[in-house]
Amino acid sequence: MTTTTPTLTTPTTNPWAANNRRALRTRSDDVRAVPAALKSEWIKLASLRANKVILALTPVIGALIAWALASSATDKKLTASELFIFPLPLVAMLATITGILMFTSEAQHGTLAAALTARPTRWVIVTAKAAIATTVGLVLGATAMVAGFGGAVLGGADVGTSSAIASRAAWALLYIGLAAVIGLGVGMIARHSAGAISGLLMWSFVIESLFAPALPNGVVHFLPFSAGYRLLDAGPSFKPPVTIAHELARPEYALIFGGYALISLAIGTLLLYRRDTN
Amino acid sequence: MINVSGLTKRYGDRTAVDDLTFSLAAGRVTGFVGPNGAGKSTTMRMMVGLTPADAGEVRYDGVRYTDLKHPARMVGAVLDARCMHPGRTARNHLRAMAAMSGIPAGRVEQVLADVGLETAVDQRAGGFSLGMRQRLALAGALLGDPQVLLLDEPSNGLDPDGIRWLRNHLSAFAEGGGTVFVSSHLIGELSLFADDLVVVGAGKLLAAETVQAITARQAVTVVVETPQPAELVRVLTAQEVAVETTGDRLVIRGTTKAAVSQVAFEHGIRLVELSETAQSLEDSLLDMTGSSAEFTSA
Repeated sequence: MTTTTPTLTTPTTNPWAANNRRALRTRSDDVRAVPAALKSEWIKLASLRANKVILALTPVIGALIAWALASSATDKKLTASELFIFPLPLVAMLATITGILMFTSEAQHGTLAAALTARPTRWVIVTAKAAIATTVGLVLGATAMVAGFGGAVLGGADVGTSSAIASRAAWALLYIGLAAVIGLGVGMIARHSAGAISGLLMWSFVIESLFAPALPNGVVHFLPFSAGYRLLDAGPSFKPPVTIAHELARPEYALIFGGYALISLAIGTLLLYRRDTN
Repeated sequence: MINVSGLTKRYGDRTAVDDLTFSLAAGRVTGFVGPNGAGKSTTMRMMVGLTPADAGEVRYDGVRYTDLKHPARMVGAVLDARCMHPGRTARNHLRAMAAMSGIPAGRVEQVLADVGLETAVDQRAGGFSLGMRQRLALAGALLGDPQVLLLDEPSNGLDPDGIRWLRNHLSAFAEGGGTVFVSSHLIGELSLFADDLVVVGAGKLLAAETVQAITARQAVTVVVETPQPAELVRVLTAQEVAVETTGDRLVIRGTTKAAVSQVAFEHGIRLVELSETAQSLEDSLLDMTGSSAEFTSA
C-alpha cells in the first residue's frame, strides 16, 4: 500500500463550509438533520459484508424451515399460507442481533464518537438508527416469508386460503420490526456485542422458555418474547414455547411487545445522553 | 478563538479535569501536554461534547459546540485513530461521516487525496497500518473543511516521514488561519511546530503560554565543581539564586556561567569545573509536570 505526501486543504477554501460556520442550531435544524442521519446509517449498514450475509441467509433459512416442515409434516392440513410464518421466530432473532450490532459495533469501533461529534443531538441519531433497524426487520421478515411460502409449496404443502395471508404477514412484520428495535435498545444499553447477544439469547431461550412455565399467567403475559411470539398467527399447529391458559388479544400483546421496544430504546437514549463516548 | 472556561469533570471521588481555563488562538498550533492520566483526552472529549462536563464550558467564536448548526464545519476532531470499522472501506467510512454532517459526497475523494490515501480508497480499514488509520482519521476531521483541528496523539503510529508530513501540514493549516490543538507525548516533536502550550497535570492547568516563555523560564543550568561548595552555596543563596547539591557538584538555576564565575572570583572560591547547559522544552515540561504524574517509572 502506498501513500503520498500532498498538501492539506487550509480552512475557508470551500464556500459551503465557510458559509454559516458559526450558525446556531435550532430545533427545526435537528428535525431537518434526520434524513442526513438516515442516509449515513444506511451507508454504514449497507457497507458491511456481515449485513449482506445476514440478508442472503434469511431467505435460505425461511425456505429451508418451511420446506422441512411441509415435507415432514404429519398434519397434512398445514398449508403454505400457514407455514410461511414458521421461520419468523428464528429470523426475528437475526433481526434482533442486527439491531444490537447496529449500535454495539459502532460503540466498540469508535465510529459512534465520530457520529456524535458530527451530530451532537443524540435523538437525531437514535431516530435514524431506530428507523433503519425497523426497515431491516421488515426487509428480513418479508424476505423470510416470501421464501418460506415458496419453500412450503416446494415441500408439498397446499397453497391454502389466501384470505388470512395479508393479516398474518402484517402481524409478523410488526413482530419482527419491533424485535429489531428491541435489539437496538438492548445494544444501546449494553454497548458490548457479545454481552448483549448472549444476554438476549439467554433470556429468550433459557429464562423465558424454561422458567416461564412455573410463573403465574399474569406474569407470563408480560414477558417480552412470550408476548411477541403471540403476534404470530399461523393456525392451531403453531405452538408458542410457553402456554398461557387465558391468552390476551393479539393487539394487547402488540402493546406489551411494543412497550418493551419503546422502553429499551428510551433507556438506551437516556444512557447515550449521560454516558461518556470514547 | 476558542475559550475553555472552568472545565471540570469528576468520576466518583476523582477529579479528572479540575477547573481548566485557557484560550486557543486562531492561526497558531497549540500543544496539549501532560503525563498519562492528566486529563488531556477527557478535556478534548468534553470540547466536542462526547463527555458531559460537570462544570464549565467551551466556546468556539462565542458559540458552544452543541449549539453549532454545522459542527463539522467549525471543528474537525481526531480523538482516536482506531475510530473506524475494520470491515468498511476508507471511501464508505468517509461517505457515512459526510452524510451525517450534510457534506457533499465529492469532498470524500478530495480529503482522501489530501492525506495521501487516494490509492487505498476501496481498501478495508482493517488492513490499514496504524499510520494509514491516522491519515484516514485525519481525512475524517478535514471533511467539513473546519476552522479548528483537535487532534489527540495524531503522530502515534506514523513513521518519521509521516510525522514530518503531519507537522508540516498542521503548521500550514495554522498559517492558513486555522486553529490547531494537538496533544502529544512526543514533547521534542511538539517543540518543532507548536507555537503555544497548554500544560496539565492531575487535571489541573499548570501553564498556558508560548513555547518560548516556557523554555525561557528555566532555560539555563550552570553546573559547578568546587572544593569549597559550602562557601559558594552561601554566597549564591545570599543573592537569591537557586542552588542544588548533586553529589560533588552544584546545580545552579536562574543565572549564567559568567555570573557564577564572577561571584566565585570575587569571593576567592576556586572552581574545578564550570559548565552551562540549556534546558530543553522536554526537561522544562517534565520539571513542571513531575509532581503531578499519576504513573511514573521506578
